[in-house]
Order: sequence, then C-alpha cells, then structure tokens
Amino acid sequence: MKIMTCPFNGPRPVSEFFYWGEIRPMPDPATCSDESWADYIFNRNGAPGVKQEWWCHIASNTWFIAERNTEKDLVLRTYLFEEEL
Amino acid sequence: MKFPSPLSPIHDALLTGAAVWNSADSLPPSVSQFDASDPQKAALLGVADHSHLPRAGVKGPGATGWLAELGLSLPSRSNSWLPFPDGGLIGRLGNTEYLIEGNAARVAQIMQTPRAPGVYPVLRQDAVFALCGSRVNELLLQTCNVDFRCLVADPTQLLLTSMAGVSVLVLVAGNKIHPVYRLWCDGTYGLYLWETLTGIAEELGGGGIGLDALP
Repeated sequence: MKIMTCPFNGPRPVSEFFYWGEIRPMPDPATCSDESWADYIFNRNGAPGVKQEWWCHIASNTWFIAERNTEKDLVLRTYLFEEEL
Repeated sequence: MKFPSPLSPIHDALLTGAAVWNSADSLPPSVSQFDASDPQKAALLGVADHSHLPRAGVKGPGATGWLAELGLSLPSRSNSWLPFPDGGLIGRLGNTEYLIEGNAARVAQIMQTPRAPGVYPVLRQDAVFALCGSRVNELLLQTCNVDFRCLVADPTQLLLTSMAGVSVLVLVAGNKIHPVYRLWCDGTYGLYLWETLTGIAEELGGGGIGLDALP
C-alpha cells in the first residue's frame, strides 16, 4: 500500500487522495506570446524528476503540495500552500 | 409535524416489522430496538443509526469568534471534539470548520442567530452510525485503512478518513472497555454504507441494532 502524508491528517493510504497535477506558473495572458500561452494550456511535462504537485485528501478536502520524485516514485515532502508563502 | 432535522437518510431501510421506534422530544423517529436479539448483536458487532439527531455546521474565518460569542466552548485544536455538559457535541473539522450536534435548542440557536461576516453555514444532512462490539476491529479491517483504536488512546481526537470508499468523520464515545465509534458520512451514501456495514456485521454474528442496545 502506498502511503501519502497529509500535512493535516497524517499518513494515509494513497487511495484517500486525488492528484491534481503539477504546479505550473501561469504566464500573464495579457502580455505573454501566443506560443507561451498555448504551451501553458496544451502541453504538460512528462519527463521524470522532482516535481511539486497538487494533491487533495478527499475525506477532509485538504489541499496541499507534494514534492515528489516521479522517477523513483518517492514522496519527498508534503506541505500546505500557506506554509511556503 | 416539523422536525428540527430531516428524517434519517436510511429511514426506509429501518422500516422492519419488529423495530421499536422512539419519536420523543419532537425529534425525527429513531429505532430504539430492532428485535429481541439486539443485546447479543451489540456484544459482538452492532451497527446503530444516529442520524435523527439535529446538527448544524459553520465554517469560515469568522466561525471561531462567532461561536465563542454564542457562549460555546470550542475545541482548541483541529480534528478534535468536545462534549457539551448538557448533551451533544461540537467537533472542529479543520482550522475554521465546526460541526454541532445533539442538542436541539443549541442547534436551533446556531441556525437562527444572524451570522457575522466570514461565517458561512454548512448543510449537514449526514448519515450517522454507531459501531460497537468485540468484533468491531474485524469489520474495520475489511472496510477501512485506519485503526480506530488510536481514538481510544486520545478520545478527543476526530478522524477524517475513508470507509468502504466513503469519506467519514469518526470519533469514539463510550468507554475504553466498550468503545462506541460514531461515523458521519454524506447522507446520500448512507444507505450504501449502512448495508455494507450491517452486511459485514451479520457475517460476524452481529447486525443492525437499536439505540437502546448501545453500551
């Protein structure tokens, strides 16, 4: 069983979570080029590596960020968005 | 007749011929006894329906201050709960979300008092079940990934987890020798969870019980 640690509720089986994708900074649509906007909208980076991703603990609706090595399938750390502000 | 809370989400499933109903205190009816074997089932593995109790929910950045102004004692940390001295409980489900249950006058006060800025109502139409008995952990092994016995060590703790695929809120009542686990889930999942839990309970020698049989 894979375990994900919710920053609020502690370690839980990964079946209690859903994944919402890699965190990607949005370019300013008013000033960026069409190419960079299209890249943001349509393209995703599938290369393995350390990524920061949105995850949610379904039972408590807790949204948080997981720093995950997708090459080695390791969760390096999890934290609330506010903790990094 | 207008009840302070709606009928149990599993009301129709409880309409068995032998059930004894309790409809006192202007609350929606609840099953006080399913049949004469309730005590035996409760000793092994009983599942009871607590959904008839009135409840209210509030959330938002102003919720803590607003509830304190109403004179309520609030749990100091997230994922914990406190009983009220005159019955009922208040649970803190996150930094700024609360569940209040059990005392009709208090629930009515919370629902009728004008809310302060930053206080938002949360519709609570939960199905609420109680689990008890010596084989309750065998049921948990089949339906849940969290060992609820950790609640017995810290009875003020609330757990938010998943049970048979349904998100549930769990706390422990009763005592250390005869713990009673109370579960809240979305009412629309109530019938599924009730049938799943009572089905497993029947395989283990227990089943659905009335509230009078709870320890």
